[in-house]
Amino acid sequence: MEIMVCIKQVPDDSVKIELDEGTGKPAAGRAEPIVNAFDTYALEMAARFLETGIAGEITTITIGDESSKGSIKNCLAVGASHGYVINDELFEGSDAQGTAYALRCAVRKIEQDTGRDFDIVFCGIETSDETSGQTGPMLAEMLGCSLVTNVVALEEKDGVLHVKQETEDGYNIVETAMPCVLTAARPNYDPRYPTIKSKMAARKMPIGELSAADIDASPDRIGAGASLVRTIELSAPPKRQAGIIIKEDDIEEAALKAFRMMTDANVL
Amino acid sequence: MAYIISDEAKDLLKDVKNFCDNEVLEQCKGFDRTGEYPADLFAQAGELGFTSLEIPEEFGGPGLSRVDTAALLEEMARADAGFATVISATGLGLKPVLIAGSDEQKQRAADFLMEGGLAAFCLTEPGAGSDAGSGKTYAVRDGDEYVINGRKCFITNGGHARFYCVTAMTDRNAGVKGMSMFFVEKDAPGLSFGDHEDKMGIRTSGTCDVVFEDCRIPVSAMIGEEGTGFETAMKTLDQARAWVGVLSVGIAQRAMDEAVAYGRERVQFGAPILKQQALRFKIADMQIKIETARQMCAYALNLMDAGEPFAKESAIAKVYGSDIANECAAEAVQIFGGYGYIRDYPVEKLIRDAKIFQIFEGTNEIQRVVISNHVIGRL
Repeated sequence: MEIMVCIKQVPDDSVKIELDEGTGKPAAGRAEPIVNAFDTYALEMAARFLETGIAGEITTITIGDESSKGSIKNCLAVGASHGYVINDELFEGSDAQGTAYALRCAVRKIEQDTGRDFDIVFCGIETSDETSGQTGPMLAEMLGCSLVTNVVALEEKDGVLHVKQETEDGYNIVETAMPCVLTAARPNYDPRYPTIKSKMAARKMPIGELSAADIDASPDRIGAGASLVRTIELSAPPKRQAGIIIKEDDIEEAALKAFRMMTDANVL
Repeated sequence: MAYIISDEAKDLLKDVKNFCDNEVLEQCKGFDRTGEYPADLFAQAGELGFTSLEIPEEFGGPGLSRVDTAALLEEMARADAGFATVISATGLGLKPVLIAGSDEQKQRAADFLMEGGLAAFCLTEPGAGSDAGSGKTYAVRDGDEYVINGRKCFITNGGHARFYCVTAMTDRNAGVKGMSMFFVEKDAPGLSFGDHEDKMGIRTSGTCDVVFEDCRIPVSAMIGEEGTGFETAMKTLDQARAWVGVLSVGIAQRAMDEAVAYGRERVQFGAPILKQQALRFKIADMQIKIETARQMCAYALNLMDAGEPFAKESAIAKVYGSDIANECAAEAVQIFGGYGYIRDYPVEKLIRDAKIFQIFEGTNEIQRVVISNHVIGRL
């Protein structure tokens, strides 16, 4: 079983990021680069899946600059065996379609070069910075394979993948043939922490670097020029108004006041 | 972070900080209240390799410099001093083996720690604290075994450790020259443990009596030569003191961080209280002390790595670090005002945690004896 986990390095979303009025872009300066949370769930699910006794390895890949090697190393410390960075200025400004296309090209190229045919290509359902949620499904389309979104668990039975898919009301258990693309939602556990040993080992592991030419990506399908989606403007969400505190002497009075206010505001 | 550390350690520090912020700090709040031992947390810390940090590379350790390791330990102490004490006491328990043990003993100890086990150092007895040479625990040879009898007290990791480095008299008429050091594994017959002590601070660490009643261990479990136990113990403490300084700096740093975070938000007289110079100067004084203490620790640890004499510097790091940890913790409570005295806020715990650092691994009075002996010499 060969699994490819696609990750993205994003600014730490536990740090509050403000919009820089001057540049009109988010000022992510203080936020450390981290692996997108949903991608870490994908990696953890893949690692746990293989740990059930299935022979195979996890390869992880990202598109980004030199600094994103740090995120790949973090993945190598928690279950991945191979890591690649697609690093080329030509990819700058790509939309989800350009990103999916780059990943498709890289998947095919790595398969060709290493002889590893990926049974599962795993992505997070979305990234915490742009939250488009489109890359996984587009990648499935371009690879010509099946897609299951919002995955929280998976197991293999007789060569068929049984996938637990989270829905708004509960879960679907979905069967899919492989190869397939899965997008990970949040499972009911947290990803493991890297150990001192695994982190030291990961630091010494080679990380493959791929340019657009290396993966045979056509320049007219990537980068800002090929993007069908353009960001016109970013704006900060409006600040929430302070709530109203109802503090009456007894509970009945407080409830009555609350109802009166809601009736006055025409919400009841 | 003002330790100058390797790129490797910087990388590890991020992971350690992440674990400490998300797990150690959060979980230990509750364990500090109940006094319950966080066994699962320490099992996880063992799996992550926290107990293996001080193992030399040749025995399977990560091969970090001492200052690299200090940066990681400081982060643990910043999250919870009791947690860091358990990890650091494991390093303490390993030291006699590294100082005087055989390669076989070193590998065995290293393997236990790499499996996630803890270690403990057993020197103190009810009647032998600062006067460590007056211990009554004794060991008698019986064929291929030694039989140990006696009682050690205030043993960090007692009952939880995989192995214990224990001092015992092999010649009760020879004073400190009659003391030997032994490697006692947790399943040795005749080894038992007293009740968990209900401590004022570092409540997430386990402390208890370690009791030897005809405890039998093989002759091969002696660490170093017969009669060298006291010397090994003193060398162990010389090293360990700098690490106590490192943990103390973690507590002091936490105290300052909490004071700054609170003082920026707390508004009195229409402005954050840290607009007041009286409080700004408190923060400046805390920073001066913290950075000075940290660099003293780094200096002592660098001397150790370089194979230079370090006993005086290690004692200074311990005494200064622990004194300023207490000062910073008290000042943090002062900056929090009445809220600082309330358990729902994080700083009263720091006072309780910091106090022991002036007491264990040689009281600060004993440290001053050590330092003055180095400076003045024999009269």
